[in-house]
Amino acid sequence: MRRIATLLWQVAIGLGALAIWEWGWALHDRLPWLVPDLLDPYFVSKPSAIFQQFLGMSCLVGRDGTWSFATDGAFAKCMGRSDNNLWIATWFTLKNTLWGFLTGVSSGFVLGLLLGRSDRLSEIFYPYITAFNSVPRIALAPIIILAFGIGDASKIVTAWLVVVFLVFFNTFEGARSVDRDHINAARLLGASEWQVTRTVIVPSTMAWLFASLSPAISFSLIGVIVGEFIGAEHGIGRMIIEAEARGEAAGMMVAVFVLMIAGVILSALVRRVQAYLLRWRPAQQLSA
Amino acid sequence: MASIPPEAAAARCRIEIDKLRKGFLASGNEGDREVVAVDDASFRINDGEFVALLGPSGCGKSTILNMVATLIAPSGGAIKVDGAPVTFGKPERHVGYVFQKDTLFPWRTVEDNIGYALELAGVPSGERRGRVAEAIHQAGLDGFARFYPASLSGGMRQRVSLMRTLIANPEILLMDEPFGALDTHTKLDMHSVLLDLWERQRQTVLFVTHDLGEALTLADRIILLSARPGRVKQDFRVDFARPRDAVALRETRQYAELFSRIWHSLGEEFTKSRNA
Repeated sequence: MRRIATLLWQVAIGLGALAIWEWGWALHDRLPWLVPDLLDPYFVSKPSAIFQQFLGMSCLVGRDGTWSFATDGAFAKCMGRSDNNLWIATWFTLKNTLWGFLTGVSSGFVLGLLLGRSDRLSEIFYPYITAFNSVPRIALAPIIILAFGIGDASKIVTAWLVVVFLVFFNTFEGARSVDRDHINAARLLGASEWQVTRTVIVPSTMAWLFASLSPAISFSLIGVIVGEFIGAEHGIGRMIIEAEARGEAAGMMVAVFVLMIAGVILSALVRRVQAYLLRWRPAQQLSA
Repeated sequence: MASIPPEAAAARCRIEIDKLRKGFLASGNEGDREVVAVDDASFRINDGEFVALLGPSGCGKSTILNMVATLIAPSGGAIKVDGAPVTFGKPERHVGYVFQKDTLFPWRTVEDNIGYALELAGVPSGERRGRVAEAIHQAGLDGFARFYPASLSGGMRQRVSLMRTLIANPEILLMDEPFGALDTHTKLDMHSVLLDLWERQRQTVLFVTHDLGEALTLADRIILLSARPGRVKQDFRVDFARPRDAVALRETRQYAELFSRIWHSLGEEFTKSRNA
């Protein structure tokens, strides 16, 4: 009952917001004290225009306003018109996000584990890690573009840089807080140092790593988009910049919605994986 | 089966503790000072003996056990297992240890926890599966092989712990109040399980407890420690016939007699530790 009520509220709020966005600006002239000029369609477009724009940008509807799939070859022809159409842009952004995520997570985990288990190493590297961590990662994006060019590499590096610290700190904490008694139990059951690492330290640190996966994928997406803003041939970020240059609010909004949907799907997938990998945990609260 | 008096069975000494001492450094407002947990503790345990180390809390009984297990370094004295001195941090291969705290690996299922020691030793998976299945059956855990520890009760978790240690067939078993956190009923149940398992192998056991009833139910000998610093106060022989019935035993007269004898002595130490 409660769930249905919640769902109804959610739908109502969503539709309400869309309705105000769609028609609210028209009220602005008549009731300026009620409706702020924030809703000017020139800047924020409106839902119906965004949807139309989406159909066009995705080549689902041709320039003549007919469904592309009604005419042979119309979809392919439309797709060929731009090498950064919505589909290609999404593909590039997602691909680089995934690479940034994978490289960031794996290297962050290894570094966190190494430094977390070695007092000597963490002592030596402590000032450098603090220093690097204090630099806003986004500030490095232009330098990375300069160094790695406007191709995929610079986007992956930017995303990696954002993800690696997040994962590193989580893993580091996890590696430090491995239960002493678990290590003792393993030793008393005959485990060598390497076996203790492999069968106790890595799995218990994994739990901490998994907790950072969900933010890591979101961060990775942010890194890629920022990289694309600064300089790219493909990707949603470039698409936003181009639409902005043309003063096309609807085009920017389409890109933002695609990113939103991508973000939601990626997080949901990661949470699935996370829930499966942490299934041994009692009543684990993974959502949030 | 008649009870075998331990001293008749060649009396090979397995654990020898000689003038063992352990002091901890405690920091306080008036500077650091040494707190002596164990002082001048000496005893020997023969092959196949089930010995309970009994004493009031804080008397250093777990400290002694952990020194034998090489988890804590002694400040003085000597510990020999099978005639050889033990080294801190280097557990002996044939010595098993059961913790009071739940130390099961939460990311491993019941079967993977129990099979852990075999996995470390490189036992082929076919043989491992067979031995694990048998252990699961012996501990009365049938049907729970694929469960994670988090979904088991405290008693079941302790059974898994027990089997995780026993599967490697340790000849010497060190147990640190393994049933201390369980309720009375579950505890009795675990006593039956342990007695049953022990009858098959007759390992040499050093069992730390503060529960006199538990010590009497399980052990051949009860070594009573004094209040801190822990010294051996008295050494009682518990010659109830084996195999024992953990429940019926408690109703016998000999149990009641020995209980009150040791209880009196234990009571003195409780008073001392309270006034200390």
